[in-house]
Amino acid sequence: MVEKNKEYFQKLADQLMFHLSDEEAEELVKEFGTLEKQFSLMEEIDTDGVEEMIYPFEEPTTYIRKDVADHVITQDDAMANVTKKLEGHFVLPKVVK
Amino acid sequence: MIKEMVNHPEDIAERCQQAYEKAQASQDKLNAVITFVDPKEQLEKLPSQGLLRGVPIAIKDNVCTKGVRTTSGSKILSNYVPVYDATITKKLEEAGAVCIAKTSMDELAMGGTNLTSFIGPAHNPWDTDRITGGSSGGSAALVAAGIVPMAIGSDTGDSVRKPASFCGIVGVKPTYGRISRYGVIPYTSSLDHVGYFTRSVEDACVSLQVLAGRDDLDLTSSNRPVPDYSQALNESVEGKKIAILANVVESVSNPETKDMFNKLVEKLKQAGAIVEEYHFDDKLMKAILPTYFTIANCEAASNHSNLDGIRFGVREDGADMKEIMTNSRTKGFGPLIRRRFVIGSYGLFEENQERIFRKAQKVRRLIVNAMKDCFKEYDCIIAPASSNIAPLINDKNDGDKLSADYLVAENYMAMANFSGDPSMTVPMGFESGCPIGVNLTCNAWQEETMFTIAKAIEDITGYKDLQTEVK
Repeated sequence: MVEKNKEYFQKLADQLMFHLSDEEAEELVKEFGTLEKQFSLMEEIDTDGVEEMIYPFEEPTTYIRKDVADHVITQDDAMANVTKKLEGHFVLPKVVK
Repeated sequence: MIKEMVNHPEDIAERCQQAYEKAQASQDKLNAVITFVDPKEQLEKLPSQGLLRGVPIAIKDNVCTKGVRTTSGSKILSNYVPVYDATITKKLEEAGAVCIAKTSMDELAMGGTNLTSFIGPAHNPWDTDRITGGSSGGSAALVAAGIVPMAIGSDTGDSVRKPASFCGIVGVKPTYGRISRYGVIPYTSSLDHVGYFTRSVEDACVSLQVLAGRDDLDLTSSNRPVPDYSQALNESVEGKKIAILANVVESVSNPETKDMFNKLVEKLKQAGAIVEEYHFDDKLMKAILPTYFTIANCEAASNHSNLDGIRFGVREDGADMKEIMTNSRTKGFGPLIRRRFVIGSYGLFEENQERIFRKAQKVRRLIVNAMKDCFKEYDCIIAPASSNIAPLINDKNDGDKLSADYLVAENYMAMANFSGDPSMTVPMGFESGCPIGVNLTCNAWQEETMFTIAKAIEDITGYKDLQTEVK
């Protein structure tokens, strides 16, 4: 079993594309102990044969709409909140040198 | 209050301007607003009629408002200006409501204190040293301070009903699917509800009338017809069967709160309601918090993977795309949110999914089954909304910190998010000059029954149009 230490959580954070400082990761190590105790409260409950509940209700609310474009936004609108853009494109650093 | 305002159209411009100025004047003390919205342009486009015509309102900052900044309380979205309206924004506009402010909230709605917004904590108008509760705290503060009679919030665990308790107002989370969530920045799709605050049950009925209804843009919204909610105000509580959630009452740590609740129960009985104690399985009650925490964080980690600073939001520099995204997310999210995402992601790992995420989804079903069993016998479940009044802002027992204590009384309201059942908080009384509320939950789609019982409580307590001047 992998040890749930500071480095473990920092690596996990990196996979989620953000960093955790040493202090933040230490805090998470402490929280994790508490969290495992909380998880044990769920583990005490017998869920054999119980189906997962994904959403509150089973009644159908979806429908098949006609294959016609609607709610179309303009390219300008789509790009309105982009910090760095050029001629309708996102601008990113060059990756091929 | 709302009907009275609508009946006096001659005051609209002055009323909305006053609310706008009052919100600005209170900002130093409440810090309840992220973006002020000048009512002038809206007043020019006011419809000729509507249930909220000329009523100043506030909207939580996770609801998209075209052309008006919408941050969800997070630094990463602090420059985000939506190019479309949420369905409820449109509905409010069509009903004649005038938005004067986008309100403060816990970052991405992932908190219960309103201490984690990127603009800093919101303050409780009853005592500005205390929290409003969260995550819809800014909206609650503006309603409690008498600045607006109605404000929009959202409720994933108790984010409308807890601040309503701490701020002495009415807070409603209707049935899942009753109000469209299109254009509301998500937290946990299977638990998120749009909710709202008012200062009377009558106003709560009018507000739901405006907000409810099917929306093809939100495929979880219900096709059920919307009844006339105000009719519920004419019904009697006589013969209504109310279950006291005994597990919660037993775990309330403050005897003053228990006493206040017991007195209310006696008066409900005198009014003709049949009120009896009902015990849920203790193990299920104690599992509410971890079940909520697991489902909420797992879904949130996935929902917020689109916040990268490239397509929208605040972008930080970096040598390549990965570095830009990593820097944007590191600086854009607060420390609590990043820790929550790590926990959520951990629960979704293939090796942990069965033990953690799927287990929580199964426990959720058992908790909901227990609620359904209760509703076979009773019309309503009732309990104090919390043990105590709002905690102090500098209290070291920060409500957003994980605790080893079971704290059933502080966390049980998420059960109505599991089930999707309608649930609301109304004021119950005061301790040390600060309000505390009582929560009631009814079976799915039974908002009318809920409003009837809430109105009976309001009549008993006399806490209608409760508000305080910000000192």
